[in-house]
Amino acid sequence: MTLGYRPGDSLAHGLDPRTKLAFQVAFAAAAFAHTTPRGLLALTALSLAVLRASDLSARTALVEYRFAFPFLLAGPLVAAATLGPPWIDAERGFASLLASYRVVLVLLVSAAYLRTTPVRDSRAAIQRLVPGKTGQLLGSGVGFVFRFLPVLQSDLRRIRDASAARLGDQRSLVARIRHVGIAGVARALSRADRFALALRARCFSWNPTLPPLSFSRADFPAWAASFALVAWALA
Amino acid sequence: MSTDAASVELVGEETVENVARAALLAGLTGAFAYVSFPNPFSPAPVSMQVLGVFLAGILLGPLWGGFSMVLYLLAGAVGAPVFSGGSAGLGELVGATGGYLWSYPIAAFLVGAIVHGGLQLRNPVPRGLVRLVGAMVAGTVVIYAFGVVGFAIVLEMTLLEAFLTAAVAFVPAEAFKIAAAVGVVRSDQLAAE
Repeated sequence: MTLGYRPGDSLAHGLDPRTKLAFQVAFAAAAFAHTTPRGLLALTALSLAVLRASDLSARTALVEYRFAFPFLLAGPLVAAATLGPPWIDAERGFASLLASYRVVLVLLVSAAYLRTTPVRDSRAAIQRLVPGKTGQLLGSGVGFVFRFLPVLQSDLRRIRDASAARLGDQRSLVARIRHVGIAGVARALSRADRFALALRARCFSWNPTLPPLSFSRADFPAWAASFALVAWALA
Repeated sequence: MSTDAASVELVGEETVENVARAALLAGLTGAFAYVSFPNPFSPAPVSMQVLGVFLAGILLGPLWGGFSMVLYLLAGAVGAPVFSGGSAGLGELVGATGGYLWSYPIAAFLVGAIVHGGLQLRNPVPRGLVRLVGAMVAGTVVIYAFGVVGFAIVLEMTLLEAFLTAAVAFVPAEAFKIAAAVGVVRSDQLAAE
């Protein structure tokens, strides 16, 4: 996925991650509360402004979310179809089309977050937003998932390549899933045991030093926009 | 940079192990999202993602299995490409297939609770066929119920329409995944770990 963090000096890069998380939630709330042509037009303009403020083109963001589109297109089509004459209920199809379009807008805004926020900042934001030990566990756990995902992916790739080289791809579906499952879980668990040992050896603690997060002057307009969106959603 | 001046409070041995396992199984579920097989009975390919949910519940028990899936959702929301098709972002959680994602922690908890017969993790993992299959069928029901209701709400459709669009093509493959998961849990290779 090319939507990961890219360093930059856009407006959105300078914002605190908590501000950006709050804005995404507020934007989604507004999009779900005002699924009307006028409401979505306003939100389209806002989402384009957000993309511009994060140096991301709408095209790149849409290409990254291409896997969501079959469902988003099928929804309105199925909603419009009716059994028996007149076969097509345009009104229901249109309602579902608007609903589908609001999801596209929400995805665009979350793409802006992914492009402008490094993982360590997200982790620090989680640990500050969720209090106590739960927050610590969630924050460090999220960091570990990021760290191990590429390793586990290449584990699975190697398992499948080795299996294909031995004509494993001609076995039954259940046998293939079972094989990848067993080998994948065995490797993941042995990695987990070694990793737990390494964490203990390095004094894994409840109070690690987090990267500093602080609100700057640029965060105020973003918070104001978030509050305005929530107020509009509740109105 | 501010530094915590308090003394370092170490995380307990058992918790470290559980966190590491939960994170690795969350990562494995994400890596499974990239693995799909052609389905002999349906045009929709079989993805292994749900297998990760079942295995988290079975191997880690209800509490840490559920926690593992929460980690999966959080990591995906802040940018790890772990959702289906290598997608990520908070938007996915309120997107058309967001209902499926929200069901994962609950399904993992339920599968774990049924297999282990309560909140406590039993060691070794119970391997009775009826219990395993029953737990995973219950988990599948939860996943599809959340998925279909979420799809219907987000795209403003009726439940039947949502079921026909987003579920019916994928349901038959769940039987294969349950069969495979039973094989994984009962394999001697894992028992030897």
